[in-house]
Amino acid sequence: MPLLGRRHRLRAIIVTGLRREFKRPATIVATAVGVGLVLVSSIVIVLFLGAFLPGQARDLSFFFVPASNGAILFFVTLMASVVGSALIADDLNSMALTLYLSRPITHADYLVAKAAILAPLISMIAVLPLVLTPFVAALLALFSWTIALEAIGLSLLLGLLFTAFYTSVTLLLSSLTTRKSYAAAGVFAVTFGLTIPADILSSSIGNSTLLYISPWEDYLALARAAFGVSGNELDWPWALAILLAATVVASLATYLRMKAVEVVSG
Amino acid sequence: MFGEVRAVDDLSVAIPEGAIGLVGPNGAGKTTFLRLLLGLVRPTTGSAKVLGHDIAEGVPVRERIGYMPEHDCLIPDMTGVGLVTYMGRVSGLDANTAISRAHDVLQFVGVEEERYRKIAEYSTGMKQKIKLAQAMVHDPQLYIFDEPTTGLDPRGRTEMLDLVRVIARSPGRNVVLSSHLLPDVETICKYIVILDGGHQIAAGELSELLTGSADRLRIDVRGDREAFARQLQEAGIEADATPSGVHVARKPGVEAAIFQTAKALGVEVRYMGREIRSLEEFFLELVQRNEARGA
Repeated sequence: MPLLGRRHRLRAIIVTGLRREFKRPATIVATAVGVGLVLVSSIVIVLFLGAFLPGQARDLSFFFVPASNGAILFFVTLMASVVGSALIADDLNSMALTLYLSRPITHADYLVAKAAILAPLISMIAVLPLVLTPFVAALLALFSWTIALEAIGLSLLLGLLFTAFYTSVTLLLSSLTTRKSYAAAGVFAVTFGLTIPADILSSSIGNSTLLYISPWEDYLALARAAFGVSGNELDWPWALAILLAATVVASLATYLRMKAVEVVSG
Repeated sequence: MFGEVRAVDDLSVAIPEGAIGLVGPNGAGKTTFLRLLLGLVRPTTGSAKVLGHDIAEGVPVRERIGYMPEHDCLIPDMTGVGLVTYMGRVSGLDANTAISRAHDVLQFVGVEEERYRKIAEYSTGMKQKIKLAQAMVHDPQLYIFDEPTTGLDPRGRTEMLDLVRVIARSPGRNVVLSSHLLPDVETICKYIVILDGGHQIAAGELSELLTGSADRLRIDVRGDREAFARQLQEAGIEADATPSGVHVARKPGVEAAIFQTAKALGVEVRYMGREIRSLEEFFLELVQRNEARGA
């Protein structure tokens, strides 16, 4: 019987995974509310710029405002915990991993497919509203297309980096347990357990270096640098290096963890 | 090697086509052997080929293998037909072929209307059938069944063994059956590999292995078996009385001596021929011998 190639096999896992996710009310609610709220709040700020941000110049630096919307952090965390925490943990719990890995796919294929299920859902919150906001602003002639296109490009890069970070960290957490609730708690711990203490400690002892441990602060440092906003307490190259390193290390750790799981047990 | 543990050592066997039984006590290395066949681990030394492909290739090997795991591994929120179709697609079948094959194999294993129900609602027997169906969906050349009758009632066990037997007899299909249940292996397999402590302790045609050496006879008698064996010993014939019969060393003229002794004792000889053991007897004998050698 002729068998199609690796790309087809991965697509089967991704499409089936996304279809299963969009049958879950939690995913639908997280996506709809997350995208809606972030997008609406960003566009409202664009429309009522004068009222919300008096004195704000109509240049690239404006787009730091939607990019630094705290709702992005909350809903990305929510999406990662609702969807991502179960992606590997459920397969470990039901031992369905055995079914996958006894098929003609590799551990890396499996992980790529799982990442490809989670990343589009996270990017709907971390990328889509940020890209749509400059687009709408240019359509309404509130900003020039030159600035809008530049903002779209930068937002895309920033959003994709944030998506990659949350995808890899969430999959690592999901691979460490058979209980998705533990992985979900881990996602919240990474987000708020690092961000809130980093903010409190850095302001109380007056040392901004501590902010590097917060992925959100690293992201904001990059956003400030990208959109040309002053007042950056962190060096953006270090922030970029930390986010990239964390993404790569989490991906490698997930791969090694999956290789260590015994899928055929006796 | 797993850390400092050598799970399978010095295993050198060419397995012919057909149905092969893989047996051994716990910790014998059966699971590691299955992992090797699936290309999920690589030998630290040596090599292995499955259907002409080096196991190090992994994916091309698994394209040709249908694996039915021992443990529960199904995705509970999927339907039976949904899961089997999905596994067909992950194996590389296109969507239409996968659906069509899923229905065919579910029909074959005897899952009828239940195929549209969620797997979480299935009985153990039904789940075993779904596990078998997902292993068959891409029409592999080699099937690996890991304890296929685990948890089944007698009826379910018979049904499952019948299905495995049909697959094993299909032309161009090969079966590796790993089981603790030696009668299952004995009824399905022509060839057997016995592992113990990570070593291969026997491999060969089941019929040849179970048929003892030509220089021993087994005699079934009606009457006092112990006295009969003792009498033979007194006549200078090497003989042992065991629950399975009287075992006698063959030498010229022994048959005549046996009948004379039987007549003298008033014992009826009901069978006399080459020693034939059950797989269980053979297995226990080998494992005991292996333990004694180790001690």
